[in-house]
This record gives sequence, C-alpha cells and structure tokens, in this order.
Amino acid sequence: MSDLARETQGFQHQKPVKSASLWWMYVPALATVFIFMIFPFVKGAFITFTNWNGFSQTYQWVGVTQYKRLFTDPDTWLVVKNTLLYGIGSTFFQNMLGLLYALLLNQSLKMKALTRTIVYLPVIISPLIMGYIWYFIFSYDGGALNDVLGALGIGPVNALASPAANPWIIVMINTYQYAGIAMIVYLAGLQSIPKDYYEAAKMDGAGGLQPFFTITLPLLMPAVTINMVINIIGGLKLFDVIFALTAGGPGNSSQSMSTFMYDLYFKRQDAGYAAAQGVFMSVIILVISFSALVYFKRKETEMS
Amino acid sequence: MKTARMRIFTLLAAVISCIHIVPFYILLTTSLKAKGDYSSKWSLPSAFSFQNFREAWERASLGQSFLNTIIITAVSAALLIFMGSLAAYPLARRNTKLNKIVFGLLISIMIIPPLTSMVPLYKMVADAGLINTHAAAILINTAAYMPLTVFLYSGFIRSSIPKELEEAARMDGAGLIRTFYTIVFPLLKPITATVCIISCVFIWNDYQFAIFFLQDQKVQTLTVAMAGFFGENANNLHLVAAAAIMAMLPMVVLFLALQKYFISGLSSGAVKG
Amino acid sequence: MKRLLALFLSFTCMILPGCSAEQSGAGEKQKTLTVYSTISSDSERAVFRKLADSFQKEHPDIQVNVHFPGNDYENMMRVRMAAGDMPDLFDTHGWAKIRYGEYTADLSGMSWTKRLDPNLNSMLKDAKGRIYAFPLNQAKDGLAYNRTMLEKYGIKPPETMDDFMKALRQIKEKSGGTVIPFWFAGYEKSSFAQYYDQFAAPLLITDPAHRYKKQLLNGTFRWTHFTYLSDKLKEMQKENLLNIDAVTAKRSQLIELMAQNKIAFTLQGGTLGQDVAQINPKVKVGIIPTPAVHKGDAPVWIGGERYTLAAFKDSPRLEEAKQFIAFMARPEHAKSIAEATSLPAGLVNVQTDIFYANDYKRYQHIKVQPYFDRLYLPNGMWDVMGTAGQELMADILTPAEISAKLGREYKRLRLQSDSRGAEKE
Repeated sequence: MSDLARETQGFQHQKPVKSASLWWMYVPALATVFIFMIFPFVKGAFITFTNWNGFSQTYQWVGVTQYKRLFTDPDTWLVVKNTLLYGIGSTFFQNMLGLLYALLLNQSLKMKALTRTIVYLPVIISPLIMGYIWYFIFSYDGGALNDVLGALGIGPVNALASPAANPWIIVMINTYQYAGIAMIVYLAGLQSIPKDYYEAAKMDGAGGLQPFFTITLPLLMPAVTINMVINIIGGLKLFDVIFALTAGGPGNSSQSMSTFMYDLYFKRQDAGYAAAQGVFMSVIILVISFSALVYFKRKETEMS
Repeated sequence: MKTARMRIFTLLAAVISCIHIVPFYILLTTSLKAKGDYSSKWSLPSAFSFQNFREAWERASLGQSFLNTIIITAVSAALLIFMGSLAAYPLARRNTKLNKIVFGLLISIMIIPPLTSMVPLYKMVADAGLINTHAAAILINTAAYMPLTVFLYSGFIRSSIPKELEEAARMDGAGLIRTFYTIVFPLLKPITATVCIISCVFIWNDYQFAIFFLQDQKVQTLTVAMAGFFGENANNLHLVAAAAIMAMLPMVVLFLALQKYFISGLSSGAVKG
Repeated sequence: MKRLLALFLSFTCMILPGCSAEQSGAGEKQKTLTVYSTISSDSERAVFRKLADSFQKEHPDIQVNVHFPGNDYENMMRVRMAAGDMPDLFDTHGWAKIRYGEYTADLSGMSWTKRLDPNLNSMLKDAKGRIYAFPLNQAKDGLAYNRTMLEKYGIKPPETMDDFMKALRQIKEKSGGTVIPFWFAGYEKSSFAQYYDQFAAPLLITDPAHRYKKQLLNGTFRWTHFTYLSDKLKEMQKENLLNIDAVTAKRSQLIELMAQNKIAFTLQGGTLGQDVAQINPKVKVGIIPTPAVHKGDAPVWIGGERYTLAAFKDSPRLEEAKQFIAFMARPEHAKSIAEATSLPAGLVNVQTDIFYANDYKRYQHIKVQPYFDRLYLPNGMWDVMGTAGQELMADILTPAEISAKLGREYKRLRLQSDSRGAEKE
C-alpha cells in the first residue's frame, strides 16, 4: 500500500494534469512520425509556391501560380477522373470479389488454406515483381496472354494500347491483384460471427439467402468499413500497377495522380507543379476516405 | 446432397486457385529458362536451368541484400510493435481531447503521397550523414507504417481487452508500464501477428524509399538489387525471375506461419464493432 | 518487462554497428571516390570496372566505388542534386551544361582538354572556356538496321526519307509481314521523343533552304513546320510499317526481337549489335546516319555526349576525382572504354576499333549535328515530345494538334527558363 502511495505521489509530482492523456506513452511514436513524415511533407508543400525544377539550387517564389495551373490544366481533370476510377472502381470490384471468395472459403473445404494463400500471394510479393510478371503476360510479342489467344485461334492483341480501355484494364488488374486483402478481412469478419446466430435463425425457419441479409451482412459491416477505407486509400494512391503496365500511357490517358506527379517531377522537371498536384491529391484522398469512413460507420450502427 | 455442394465448392476453390496462380507459374517458367530461350511463357523448358538462380545470386550479391533486408525489416517491425502498441494504449483508453487530436493526426498521415516528402526527407537525411545507413531506412519505414500500426492496436485494445484486467493490476500496485507490458501486451498477440505480417511485407518489398536511401551495394535491399537487372539495354529476364522467386520466399513462409494468428487477430479486434 | 527492455536495447545496438560499418569501412587511411554512371550493358560495365580497378592499383590509397543504377540513375541524381549531395564523379549523359551544370567542377585546367573533339564543344564547353565534363565516348546516332535482312531482300540502306519509306515498304512486302520494318519501344515515351529529336535536324537545321535556327532560338518558330514529322510517323503507322505494339513495347524486348530477325530498323544504337551477336551471331546489325528530309541534302549523324565523367564541384575529394578523370583520359584507357561502348571516343587522338567501325568509316564524311532539343529547345521539351508521340500513335491527337501542343509547351517552357535566368551560362 505504501508502495502504491509512493508511486502515485511520484506521478502527481512529475506529471501535471495532462497525465490523464498518458501522452508520454506515444511521444516516441509521434516523434518518429513527425520527424520523418510530417516535417518533410510540410517542407515539400512549400515547394508548391515556387517554380522549382527539382534539381537546381535556385528557384523563384511564384505565389499561387501552380495552383492556378492545377485548376486550369485539362490534364488535371483527366488524371483526377482516372484516380477516382481507380479508387472507387477498384474498391467496388475488390470488395465484391473478396466477399465472394471469403464466403466460399469460410466453408470447411480441404483446399481452403491453400486457396487462401494463393489468392493472397500477390499482396505479399513486391509490386515491382508483379510489374515484371504483368509484362510477361501482356507483352505483344511472346506474352502469355497472346499465346493463349493464339492457341484459341484469335489473333494477338495489344492489350494496353487503347486510351479509353486502359484505365478499366488497370482497374481489373488491380482488383485481381489485391482482392486478397478484402478476402482476408471478410474471412476474419465472418469468423467473428458466432455460429449460434445461424442456428437460431434456422430454428426460426429462415432459409436460403435470408440469413445472409439479416445476420451476415449487418455483422460484417465493421469489416466492410475497414475494407472500404483501406481499399479506397490504396486505390486512390495507386502507382505501381499503373507504372508497370502502361506508365500512364498512351499519352496521359491512364495516369493517376501519383503517376502524374512522378512524371511531372522526374520527367518534366516541374517540381513545383508536381508538389501542387501532391497536395491536391492528399486533399482529395482525405475528403473521400473520410467521407467513406463516416458513411460506413453510420451504416454499421444502423445495421446493428 | 450436402457433399455434392461441398464438391462444387471445392471445385470452385480449385478453379480460383488456378486463376490466381497463373502469375507465379509464369514467373517460375521464366526463371528456369536460359538466356536466349524465347519459348512461350507457358511452357516449361526441357532442361531446368537452376543456373539462373546461382547467377542471379552472385551477380546481384543477393546474400548481402538478403541480410540487409532482414535487418531492416526485423528492426523496423520490432520498433513498430513496441512503440506502436505503447502509443496505442493511451489513445485507446484515454479519450481526452488531446488524444483525439493526436489520433486523428496520426491516421491522416496515411494520405501523404511519399513523393512529396521525398526530397526534403532526402536532404534532411543527407545533412545528418545518414544516407546509406540501415538506421535511416529503419526509422523512415517505422515512421511510414506507424499510423496503420497504431490504428490496428488501438482498435484491438478498445474492443478486446477488458479494462477490468488492468484495473485489477493497478489496484495490486503495478506501475503503468509494467501493467502494460505484463498484462496488456501478451494479450495483443493476435493483432501483433497482424501488424507483423502487414508491416513486414510492406517494408520487405519497399522500393520507393530504398532506391534513394540505400544506394550503396553494401546496404541495398533485395528490391534495389533486383532493379539492377532491368537496365536500359539489359536483357536478363531469366535472372530477374530467379531473383524474384528467391526474394519472395521469406515473406511467403512468414505468411504461412502467421496466417491463423493474422486472421484471428483481425477478427477479434479490428473487425468487431 | 525487463526482458522486453533488454530486447529493445539489443535491437538498437544492432542498428548502431550497422550504421558505423558502412562509414568505418572507408576509414581515415583510405580515401573513397564514389562514381555514378549511366553505362547500361553488362559488357560496358565490366570494362569500366576493370579500369577502376587498375586505377586503384596505381593509387593504393584511393578506393573507387562504382555505381550503375540503370533506369534509376536520373531520378537518383535529381534528388541528390536537390539535396546538394552529389557523388564525387557522375555521368552527365547529354545534359552537362543544361541540367548538371551548376554542380560540375571546371575541368579546363586538365591536359586532355586540348584534345577534346571539337564536335563536343557546344555540349561540354561554354563561351568562357569552362569545361563541364570529360567525354568517355560520343554519340553518333542514326538508325540501327538488320543488315542480314536488308541484304537478304536486296535493299540498300537509305539516305533520304523517301528512300527510307521505300525501304520500309519493301521489307514489309518481301518478308510477308514477318519482319517489322520500323520498331519503336513506345512504352517509354523517350522512344518517340528520340524520333522527333533526330529527324528534326534534317528537317529544320541541316538544309540551308530550310534552316530555322534563329527562329527556334529567339522564340518565333512556327510549329506548323514540325507537322511533317508527325505526318510521316502516322503514315508509317497506317501502312503497318511500325510494330503493332509500338505504343506499349518495352526496350528490353529489342535485343530478343532483333536476334530473331524480326526487326529491320530501329532508332536504338548503343551496344545493340554486340548484344544481338552474343545471342545469335548470324544476325548482323549496322548503323546508318539519319536520312535527309529535303531534296539534295545529305544524311546527318546526331551527336553529342553519351557517357561522361563530371566532377562534383563541392566534393571533398575533388583532387582525387580529377586524378581519376586524367587516368581515364589516357589514350589507351579512352580507347578501351569507347570500344566497349561501340562509339567513338571523345578525344581526337584516340582511334577506336569499334563494332560499327566499318559503318562509321563508310559515312565518315557525314557531318555531326548536336542533339536538336539540347541546343534549340527549352529544357523540358523532350518529355513533351515523347508524350506527343504516344498521343499521335494512339489517335488522341492529330498531327496538326500535336504541333499546336508542342508550340504551346515551347512557349511556356521558354518563359519558365527565362524567368529563372536559365541554366545557360
């Protein structure tokens, strides 16, 4: 008892009122994040007010010129459109596919661990490697896809050359590659639903798809929220898949905001403008993912 | 009746497996072929050429790269787990205004596109003389995945760790840190497994940071070493494929080992309301 | 809990030895020179490394660390420049004055500068006599072609655009479509930028009757003159004289396709010939200068720097760096590196026995014109031309629209570099 008294006294002397927050516990983490993430980002944001080219030691302050350019550049809107497609489109398909896979693999099948691993595999390996693999599949000469088409008697296709189709192809490939994430989260969610609920429903005479809509879906909502937010953020930031398949081309037709930024900075010597796109992108992601979070959290509470 | 349904499901699972294994099958065939072999990506070569693996290993000094990648990944993961769980505790338990702000700030970090911070970050690290050191890579990776880690830990603590346990320990006279590490932390095993898999995979495969901060061959990671094969005129696809297979094995093994914990970690914490 | 703390501390102890290992390796007795180069193929890199080793034998107190980042070179250099943290020696690959200029040390005191090939003066020297980099070789670019196939079909290497078009058509016909007449690695925008850049010289510079140097330099150039190039490229595409996947093909496929006799012409040069010969010795690759566009004009080599060594002006090892350059400038060394890269050396007293020696000999009377965009276009137009090429091929823009777009970007970029005082001297 005296120990505790001494300890609590010690606390009260050393740490004033704010000890209720126990802030000293997150100081190391916060410090690390601040030094290596926040501080550089803020510094990077200052570049948006210059016309820096990315490599010279000199530049000029140009006020909000880059932002004005941002809003009047037709490429910006093309790129934003693509980014939204990648973010929202991929998320939709990934979740559909992930949910279906999870429902399937939640049964007691012998294959389930193997299938689970195989589907999740593209998530584990480096996007760099997946990029090479897609190249092996889609290259016009000697690519795996054209081999298959050839065997089927259909002529070879140049899969990634159409400005209109490329964004959709990228959505499809992104879905294929990352459906595993949604699947795993849904599997976890399904496993957290107690089996008795289903027993009870059966005893009440509920059959067919009814239990799915009355039990499964509502209880899966937390998983849906997580998946939605993670997939949306990932999709909006999408870079590696695009870079490996089309490099944003042809022209700028399949660029996302991140690949566009990369191009502006490293290829077009336009660091100031690139940074402005970066800031704009962060804002868009923040707004969309936050809205998604709020929307789905609300659905969660509604449904439960 | 039921078995017929099970059989259909099993068949479906097999089909799905086949569809999703295609990329790796192609990677495998490419890695087994010799340099000038341009046969179809679907066909296995008549003579398996394990030579590629040996050559890729030597050419890219994969041994050194493996070591570097393991060190950076392991230490970063350790830091994330220790610092992240500790940070998540007050954010999960004490809902003060300050904490809510800090939590929001941490989570919003996730939206930052890495490229915007790249140059100021490089300058900072270069000025500190820490380019080409493990320390820089570790700290940057730790910072990058801290938000997600804290998010997962705090969700888990809030929903799955009963407050009573901590209160009981405090009443028995335990200090805060001791309470945390002896009572709470062991219960975090499932979510620690989750954090471990997620962050290890990201850090192991990181390319965007490694290529700038770890240029020296002594410290480069696997992704950087592999990128060297794909130079402008280099035509070493067989080596790239071989190196890629070797590089992905550890993470596959990690996933297989931690799968169960991974899923149960998600299901008992983050995914419940 | 104590155990955990101990674990934590031991992890941090692991990092510290990790950090100091890299730095203590250099130690105080040994001076380290870091060299970064864009040299891309394995054979070239091997020769460079060998030379670095010989240098180290001559100077046992200097250790040379050579880096070949390949595709990531430019990105790395950009970030490093921004941080003011350049390697002791680096490659300026055509941009010695315009991009890397402010970071290079002046090499004009060195003895080899007296033997600098005058072709390279506009690229490496400025009006005040400052010398920006040492050329390991010089570019002499035109078209690479499959001599085996051309001989098989009895086609003479073309010297004019019209002959070139004829040759392309003949290839397509006589090979029954099995050989791609003109191949582009269009996944990389630079392939199309290369086309515009090379053919801009015969179109706008070399012919005295169609010379627009002044207009380009003072900003009054009318870009409708440029439409010819887009028209021609589109024509080639419509007649199927280009590879069907021109917009998506990757450069790494070039060697394998050429080695299978599937390509007749391409804009890539470099060590293509040697690399192909390694895989299939029966396939012979040659090069010809860029065909002329206007009647009566001669073909032209497009030249300038390819691989260079510049010294970082703020390097603590500037003396040693210069020693390394002097070493590479010795005639026997300059010869071996140039030969390895299949390009002429950058110095006048070095005779090289390169892969394309016969081709260069045959066309030795042909003039060399520096790269069009480096001399006449504001910084940043290269990427614009590349994107434009892709948009042309994918039918996003018409040739006329391309010229209009190039015109707008030209004006904007000129304004940008003017307002910054430009990176020129």
